Amino acid sequence: MESCSAVERELDRVIAKFTDIREDSENVISDVTNLFDSLKDTLTDDEASSQISENQVTILNEAFAKMREKLHRITTEHREIHGTVSKVGKVIDRNFVSDFQATARSDALVEDRNMQMLNKLVAEHYIRQGMDDVAEALIREAEIRTEFSPKVREQSQQFAEVYHIWECITNHNLSPALEWSAKYSEELDAKNSPLEFKLHRLAFIQILSLGVGAQSEAITYARTNFGKFVNRYEKEIQNLMGSLIYLPTGIHNSPYKHLMSPELWTEAAYIFLKDCCNVLGISKDSPLSVVVNAGCTALPALLNLKQVMQSRQVLGIWSGRDELPIEIDLDPDHRYHSVFACPILRQQTSEDNPPMKLSCGHVISRDALNKLSNGLLLKCPYCPIEQSPEDAKYIYF
Amino acid sequence: MSEVRAMEHSTLKVPYEVINKKFRLAQKTLDREVSQVQNAATEMEKCLKPGASVGEIRKLLGGVVERLQVLKRKANESISDELSASYVCKRRLEHLKESAASEQPSNFEVWQANIDNWKRIRMDRMIIEHCLRYGFYESAERLANRTGIKDLTNLEIFQVAREVEGDLRNRKTAKCIMWCNENKSKLRKINSTLEFQLRVQEFVELIRDRNRMEAVKHARKYFPVFEKDQLKEICQCMALLAFPVDTDIEPYKGLFNPDRWDELVLNFRNENYRLFNLSAQSLLGVTVQAGLSALKTPQCYSVSSKNPNCPVCEEDFNEIAKCLPYSHCAQSRLICRVTGLPLNEHNLPMMLPNGQIYGQLAIPQITKDDGTIVCPVTKTPFTDPKIEKVFIM
Repeated sequence: MESCSAVERELDRVIAKFTDIREDSENVISDVTNLFDSLKDTLTDDEASSQISENQVTILNEAFAKMREKLHRITTEHREIHGTVSKVGKVIDRNFVSDFQATARSDALVEDRNMQMLNKLVAEHYIRQGMDDVAEALIREAEIRTEFSPKVREQSQQFAEVYHIWECITNHNLSPALEWSAKYSEELDAKNSPLEFKLHRLAFIQILSLGVGAQSEAITYARTNFGKFVNRYEKEIQNLMGSLIYLPTGIHNSPYKHLMSPELWTEAAYIFLKDCCNVLGISKDSPLSVVVNAGCTALPALLNLKQVMQSRQVLGIWSGRDELPIEIDLDPDHRYHSVFACPILRQQTSEDNPPMKLSCGHVISRDALNKLSNGLLLKCPYCPIEQSPEDAKYIYF
Repeated sequence: MSEVRAMEHSTLKVPYEVINKKFRLAQKTLDREVSQVQNAATEMEKCLKPGASVGEIRKLLGGVVERLQVLKRKANESISDELSASYVCKRRLEHLKESAASEQPSNFEVWQANIDNWKRIRMDRMIIEHCLRYGFYESAERLANRTGIKDLTNLEIFQVAREVEGDLRNRKTAKCIMWCNENKSKLRKINSTLEFQLRVQEFVELIRDRNRMEAVKHARKYFPVFEKDQLKEICQCMALLAFPVDTDIEPYKGLFNPDRWDELVLNFRNENYRLFNLSAQSLLGVTVQAGLSALKTPQCYSVSSKNPNCPVCEEDFNEIAKCLPYSHCAQSRLICRVTGLPLNEHNLPMMLPNGQIYGQLAIPQITKDDGTIVCPVTKTPFTDPKIEKVFIM
């Protein structure tokens, strides 16, 4: 965040200077214009002589000198802002990384075919969010010719519906979400989801916000809908009903003002998206967004490492490896495969070097096993058991 | 290093370049208008001698005042331009600062929702930038309008590019030449040859139209400026006069090739990036590569262990990721293939006699009523098997 504040400081300075000079130049030019206007007027008044007097010449000359000096000052002052402006650029360069591409070792996307696939994935992402018009434009402009698989289509359609309801919630339209949650009420209950209650609560608050006139409507709503939640949300319902006391004076300035916070909407929308996808068994993120977000986590780490390697002049080590040099700390939700790293060699196992279970139950990689075994005898590195390396078993995760 | 620091350079640098451009434009306007006023004043001073006629002086004075009013208007306009360009930059800073979510929201859901929302906008921004880069202007515009983040993207700058490119595609150079003139000093600084290439193309087109006299005139008018750096190319061009349009001799055949227009489009696009300090590769491309690497495991490439939820196992990503490095992993990270739960002290890894490992919690699920266990991967049934505990360090 310091990077943002640093830029902001310089930018504010620029804005202040521009604002000042706009006002300043306006005043100065107005002054000069007025001066000349009044001079012009004195000349008219002097109908008697049709010739300029010496006195007038001096006055005019003085006025000109003054004008030149003032206008010159404005242009110089404006020119001097240049330093402040270019400072912004320098601060941006210093605080943000401009050359982020060196982390990508190969040119995986240079090939047209791969680029096509990426564009297709982008299109899929927007179909998934129900933005068919965006996807269509992209399919046309990027000339995507390959067909989308029916599986993708079907899943996308399902999610597009969910996403549409989600958008409705963010626009404070609850009815599609209420309809949906009524339909899946049992499934939601089974997952212990607070969604249905949260939606009804918002609907109730929405009625409250209409003011005191809607009081009986609110009470009717509560009577019809809150009954089934009494066991789980007794406290919250009491709280909601308590707010009715302050309805005449306005809930905004009452102890219940938290009910009016927009955060409740953000929260409900989030819970909807999460629980809804959970119930339907679909992922709330498209493959593209999972990859992009993983990339956003990975890039800073890789850039950091690159900087260090560059300063030590060991950048060469990077290339030619088929593995990233560091581990990227991803959200556990986004780990899809088991990875077994040999605790002895500290590297991932592979088909060439598979994990082996020793007869004592400890697991190491085959390479490590070969290194540790002494002829027909192997001592487990983790417990005192001695065994034959032959007894180790190839295992699969 | 924070994500914002690593990835948002162009988000701020592009509007900065716009401020800089507006500043230079404003300076030019101010200088020009002030000197106009000065000229009017000098004119008047010449006539201003005792005894000059009042009427004439009055008229000249009126001229000066008029000039002053023009100056006032223009100064205000151009400084307001500078200010609005600065506010664009400021708006983006505000958006970037939201990523830190400094205000502590009341609960976890709200916090998570805000982060998700920010990430969604970031991805839309990246995709818009990607589309603009590859000339998918319509898609970019629709997306920006749909998501309401137009002010966070560089759509406006690329609007000009779109017009220039359209013009070039219709085999016209006028707009591109105009663009070159507007950015003359910057282009000179980055050693761009775009303007020269345009002039060559115009020359070639004149010959194609069998208008060799005009071509010579054109060459006389425009080529001398480039003599210092491009003499060799100029010589080649001039030799073109001696060849028929359907010649088979290189490099003249190449010069007549209409595909040169497409090259001009790419050339222009490239110079436009350089002008705004945009890197040659799109951020989306770089991020996707880094993300694929971070997710890629050898299992993504073996038919038996694909996971339908894993993006890298997905067909298209799988292909793109082929030449990218695998993720690095120094600490085992095991997931049960039946329950999807991590294997740890609460869910001990257990081995079936065929060497397949499943979590403790999965065993009841794969055990039939008669005690037979069917391995979910190999489908081998085991009657009352010996299930061994496995220890992972």
